[in-house]
Amino acid sequence: MFSTIFFHELKYWLKKPAFYIYMAIFFALALFISATTAGFFDSITATTGSSRIVNSPSGVTNLFNGLTIFIFFLFPSIVGVSVYRDYKSEMHTILYSYPFSKGNYLFAKFFSSILIVTCIVLVIGIAMFIGFRLPGTNAEIVTAFDFKSYFDAYWVFILPNILLFGAIVFAVVTFTRNIAAGFITVILILFVQGVTESLLSDPDSRYLAGLLDPFGAAASDYYTRYWTVSEQNELHIPIKELILYNRLLWLGVASLVFGLVYKFFQFSQNALSFSLFKKAKGERATKRNFGGIIRINLPKVNFDYSILQNLKTTWKLSNVDFKYIAKSWPFICIVLVGLIIVLIALADVGNPYSTQSYPKTWRMLRGGGAFVVAINICTFLYAGMLVNRSKTNRINGLIDVTPIPNWSLFLSKFIAIIKMQILLLAVIMVAGILFQIYKGYFDFEVGLYIKELFGLKLINYVIWAFLALAVQTLIRSPYLGLFVLIVLSIGIPLLSLAGVEQSIFKYNEGPGFGYNDMNGYGDSLDRYLLYKGYWLLAGLMLLIVTALFWVRGLPHSFKERLFIAKSRFKASVAITLLVLLVGFFTLGYSIFKETNIDNVRYSSKELEKLRVDWEKTYKTFENYAQPRIISVKTDMNIFPKERNFEASGEYVMVNKTNEIIDSIFLSHNGYPSKFEFNKANVIVLEDTIYDFDIYQLKQALLPGDTLKLHFTVENEPNTLINNNSPVVRNGTFINNKALFPSLGYSGGRELTDNKTRKTYDLPPNDLKPHPSDSTALGNTYISNDSDWIDFETTVSTSEDQIAIAPGYLQKEWTEDGRRYFHYKMDSKILNFYAFNSAEYEVKRDKWKDVSLEIYYHKGHEYNLERMMRGMKASLEYNTENFSPYQHKQLRIVEFPSGGFAQSFPNTIPFGGDTGFIADIDDSEDGGIDYTYAITVHEVAHQWFAHQVIGADVLGATMMSESMSEYVSLKVLEKELGKAQMRKFLKKALDDYLTQRTFESKRESALMYNDGQQYVHYQKGSLVLYAVSDYIGEKVLNNALKTYVEKVRFQDAPYTTSIDMVNHIKAVTPDSLQYIIKDMFETITLYDNRILDVSSSEMDNGKYKVDIEFNVSKYRNDEKGKRFYSEEGRDSITYLAEGKETPLVSVKLEDYIDIGIFTEDDLDGKKKERILYLKKHKITEINNKISIIVDEKPTEVGVDPFNILIDTRSDDNRQKL
Amino acid sequence: MKLVITNLTKTYKNGVKAIDNLNLEIGTGMFGLLGPNGAGKSSLMRTIATLQSPDSGSIMFGDIDVLEDKMALRKILGYLPQSFGVYPKMSAEDLLDYFAALKGVSSKADRQVLVKEVLEITNLYDVRKKHVAGYSGGMKQRFGIAQLLLNNPKLIIVDEPTAGLDPAERHRFLNVLREVGTNCTVIFSTHIVEDVKELCNDMAILNGGRILKQTTPSHARKELIGKIWTKIVERDDLEQNETVYNVLSSNYNEDNTLNIRVFADEQPDADFITSEPQLDDVYFIALKQDEPVLS
Repeated sequence: MFSTIFFHELKYWLKKPAFYIYMAIFFALALFISATTAGFFDSITATTGSSRIVNSPSGVTNLFNGLTIFIFFLFPSIVGVSVYRDYKSEMHTILYSYPFSKGNYLFAKFFSSILIVTCIVLVIGIAMFIGFRLPGTNAEIVTAFDFKSYFDAYWVFILPNILLFGAIVFAVVTFTRNIAAGFITVILILFVQGVTESLLSDPDSRYLAGLLDPFGAAASDYYTRYWTVSEQNELHIPIKELILYNRLLWLGVASLVFGLVYKFFQFSQNALSFSLFKKAKGERATKRNFGGIIRINLPKVNFDYSILQNLKTTWKLSNVDFKYIAKSWPFICIVLVGLIIVLIALADVGNPYSTQSYPKTWRMLRGGGAFVVAINICTFLYAGMLVNRSKTNRINGLIDVTPIPNWSLFLSKFIAIIKMQILLLAVIMVAGILFQIYKGYFDFEVGLYIKELFGLKLINYVIWAFLALAVQTLIRSPYLGLFVLIVLSIGIPLLSLAGVEQSIFKYNEGPGFGYNDMNGYGDSLDRYLLYKGYWLLAGLMLLIVTALFWVRGLPHSFKERLFIAKSRFKASVAITLLVLLVGFFTLGYSIFKETNIDNVRYSSKELEKLRVDWEKTYKTFENYAQPRIISVKTDMNIFPKERNFEASGEYVMVNKTNEIIDSIFLSHNGYPSKFEFNKANVIVLEDTIYDFDIYQLKQALLPGDTLKLHFTVENEPNTLINNNSPVVRNGTFINNKALFPSLGYSGGRELTDNKTRKTYDLPPNDLKPHPSDSTALGNTYISNDSDWIDFETTVSTSEDQIAIAPGYLQKEWTEDGRRYFHYKMDSKILNFYAFNSAEYEVKRDKWKDVSLEIYYHKGHEYNLERMMRGMKASLEYNTENFSPYQHKQLRIVEFPSGGFAQSFPNTIPFGGDTGFIADIDDSEDGGIDYTYAITVHEVAHQWFAHQVIGADVLGATMMSESMSEYVSLKVLEKELGKAQMRKFLKKALDDYLTQRTFESKRESALMYNDGQQYVHYQKGSLVLYAVSDYIGEKVLNNALKTYVEKVRFQDAPYTTSIDMVNHIKAVTPDSLQYIIKDMFETITLYDNRILDVSSSEMDNGKYKVDIEFNVSKYRNDEKGKRFYSEEGRDSITYLAEGKETPLVSVKLEDYIDIGIFTEDDLDGKKKERILYLKKHKITEINNKISIIVDEKPTEVGVDPFNILIDTRSDDNRQKL
Repeated sequence: MKLVITNLTKTYKNGVKAIDNLNLEIGTGMFGLLGPNGAGKSSLMRTIATLQSPDSGSIMFGDIDVLEDKMALRKILGYLPQSFGVYPKMSAEDLLDYFAALKGVSSKADRQVLVKEVLEITNLYDVRKKHVAGYSGGMKQRFGIAQLLLNNPKLIIVDEPTAGLDPAERHRFLNVLREVGTNCTVIFSTHIVEDVKELCNDMAILNGGRILKQTTPSHARKELIGKIWTKIVERDDLEQNETVYNVLSSNYNEDNTLNIRVFADEQPDADFITSEPQLDDVYFIALKQDEPVLS
């Protein structure tokens, strides 16, 4: 019986066009994505350059798994429907009386549909295989076909997932007899998966997360999380214990679900129903069987067929449809779960050390982003449900013959969808307000909620609703329609990858909008609304398509529908369509004209070629001698309301070389500018594409000669579509590099990926010269046309704003309704400055004779004290340990948003969303006080960048970023104590290890780093902190002090990382010289772990602690390949009992912390106390030691504070 | 008002000619459309009810060109399809209110009065708060009538309404229909000859998409007086009789003999006795004449 049903089911599917449509869609999708990642479209879009192999085992697994997630959306209509179909066709009334067993029936139904799904999966695999190898893909990033990658991905991840989700959907649809419920279940599972993922994102819960992720991705992440690029490219995902446990667990759940289906399924006529209330008492029911001759006298009523009445009816109909959606329990589930999801997203629950910002309404609105997908899917799904509702319920025969016009019918569906969207958007508002109340924050800004949710965001969803209604009307099969819509909504933005880059060609695409406290929506709204208006016109055209193809009655073929559509295409329709079309094209063309014709628009391919040509044309001038700027005087006029600027300035330049300079290479930007030298010259080249001009001086500049350049720069007027100026209404922040000209060729535009460069016949690029190259030390890494400059500026702005630039305020005055500020610097600074202008409040304080100021946005008073403390602490630490502060003033200046702060001479622009609104919990369990940490870091830059500045060679950022971050850690340590540092270090470690896995070019050792943030911030701070731990803070700082004194404010040749490391090396004892090599010169990673600990009380009341632990370390080359020995074969190995592969390590002569801790009970709170902490010399991988401590220990650790870079930081400690 | 159908043709995608150059005129009163399963009754009724477009031909109701101005007809049309469903979880009262709105009853008060009245007419008032989806077959059919009445229709089309109803329900249904149909056009399709006999003042027999005969029930019977003959034959003799006589129908008697009815202008055989013509005979004769002649 099993095989009869099984093969019947298969035959059914094989005959169904939907099966082939699904396969075709998946084939196309997989082909497109795999070919795109493999660089198929490189000829029309930017080159896919990377050191990453796209079809590496992890690449295949990720893509294969990712694409299979889409199949889950097909489950309701393939797996779920297998039993449901018998009900729907009322086959069950006959079938269920036949003599086959429940088991045969269910298994045959389930496995046949699983087989069908598997066929589609197979198609994905084949399409990926072909896609990676299509002619035209980039052979450099595709490796040979590896069967095991596909095989593992399929057997370990995809098949169990299909069985699990198949069983769940099968159960839900079989019991509810409702396909929509199956869909919502899929969405809910994806939601729940997302929630558990974020709940368990904290590094300590990763094992649990790995076990509980139904997709198994977190389990494989557990092993592969920190894989370097080379490892990702080469290694197969290890099918180790956690992955197996995870798979077994979820297969168990799948069997359980299926078992429950088996147990509760009955061959019965009625769907299982759940009722919260007891069944009403049964009553014998009889009906009247006699009589029935009556007079029919229908009351006289008014019939009204006017448009107004039809509109009223439309509204009434939409209410009926809306009620249907809102009352269906799948939808209610979405709303409730959505509420929970948004709340969880807002609370960032899984991240115990994260510090949240105050729950400003704009942040709540951003948190609602977690709900976007749900709103879209509900729109797509319920559009299908409503369009087909009368057909599904077979009531269409009654409705379609009533005198209601078609437009009223489909418009009512459309309105119902919009009402649903409004309801869903209201969920975000409710969640946001609930969260704000929970946080005790009562400035709800309801107006902002309403404006953004029911205005700005709603438009976006309405435009999707137009498309959904049209597609569902054309397709008339809600689940196929849903699937097509999901593919469209995901696929449309991806068109960029195929070279369709402009938003006007992609449905509902366009610029977004952003909000911040200082500048509100800024100018982003106009542009957003313009594009939405454009797409709204397209949506209205789709509504006409819907109207033409709206099914009324019973057409029998698509041909007939076409015929009907043609007959409906009357003059009035044609005119409306024409008007919309004209509007659409006019608007589209005016956008196109503005972005493509009036202003040159470059595709990413063209931009890439421009960079190539720039290098090919002008690199020859790189080493051409140029004068150096020694003084800058500027006038900067900011017009906040008009968002314009007008600037002028004068550079004084000196020929500091021994050569005669005959030509000046002036590199500027696209702003309308004028340049005038004070010496006679001829312009020999004016390149308007690269904005690179060459002026030949009539009289060459002799060594020591001075030249002046006077320039003016302003912006072109802003338009609705193009913002031509960096000035904003409130909170302008512009630095000089974005506005003012510079001298000479700049290598910053060169392509960096060597594989891409090869395709353009460019030689490999080494980014920057090695620090040992003594000829490359002429420039700082901040500027290539100047050393230290004199600086003076006058900034003007509107009357209600304050304008700030580096320097001391000389004079402030108001003239013609504008405010002027004259700033002048009294000491030399780098050629790096910024202008800020906003409606500021000011807070002032003093540290010794340095005046401290914070310019902030009114309302952002929360953390001003903290910033002041941070400024003082940093000034204190740096002055005490390194050198005096060079200025008499220090200012923090708020700018609207961006999530960063940047240090300029005596002035620190600080993002308003970065530290000003952080809601910091000062208790020990509280999150990281990043406002304070950032403040200390940025102030430290006044030393490390603005006093000590590295030459423009590899590793230069170690002397600025790593040092500032180190100072920040040290100041925090002073404030909070050593024990509290572990959370900072662990976070830095996790960030370093995670971010390096995304490296696309190379990772170099700290002192030769390419400027990646994860190296110079995270690794740099870890390394310097560890060095201070090993050789002592005082010793390290003294060495650094000597170094700072030697190099501060030096002229070329500038200092390098080698110089700094040599200073540290000089004070490092011989026994610890290895740390210099491990930490600065190479990429060395430890794998330290406690294997076993035990403690026993001795007769004298002391405790003996026996510890077994492993210490091993390895090195990575720049691609992340592991190696264990430098030269020869000096690596060491250890084979643990019962293991097959030995542990290998670089030769060890290392000193590693062994710590023993106890817990004190302080007011009911456990507080850790160190019983023992000492560095032990380790020469073997496996070690057993015994230590005697005075008190009962509770926890033991090897490198317990995570001072070393360790790939697994959670096994360094073990509780007793 | 008269319904005039001329040269109506409809061919389905699968090649079946459901309506084949059909011409028909229907006046006020009850009109019975009789035909076997698959004759094209539903196709014809759906076409008249504006649910389906014919390939060619025209339909006029009074001065309404039904195919061109569907809305005009819908305003005065009451249609009850052969089978229909309803939205789940909606009570009869709510659903009827919904239909009343669809049919253009603008005021809420009007709708309430109207709905109450049709509920009472169809004897559904007591169960008006119950979900229609849970109604029994008869109740659902009465609900169908209730919704049909809402716009006080001038043209009523009911497609096989009595199939599956118990005798009491069937009578009640026919009575209501009769009551409504006194001063409007009611087209009523069925394959149950009895229904037509009891109810209709005009009728047509449809098969293979063509009208085989249009007549009135009494006239049709009158035509056949003296032409219907019956005799009792053994089961084994049936085939032989069928080859010789024009056998219209045959039914078993209790003793396993058969009673055959034969159509002939004169007494075919001495064994035959004359019989009162039934409407069934009219029906079978029409069908018989339409049967393809086997050569």
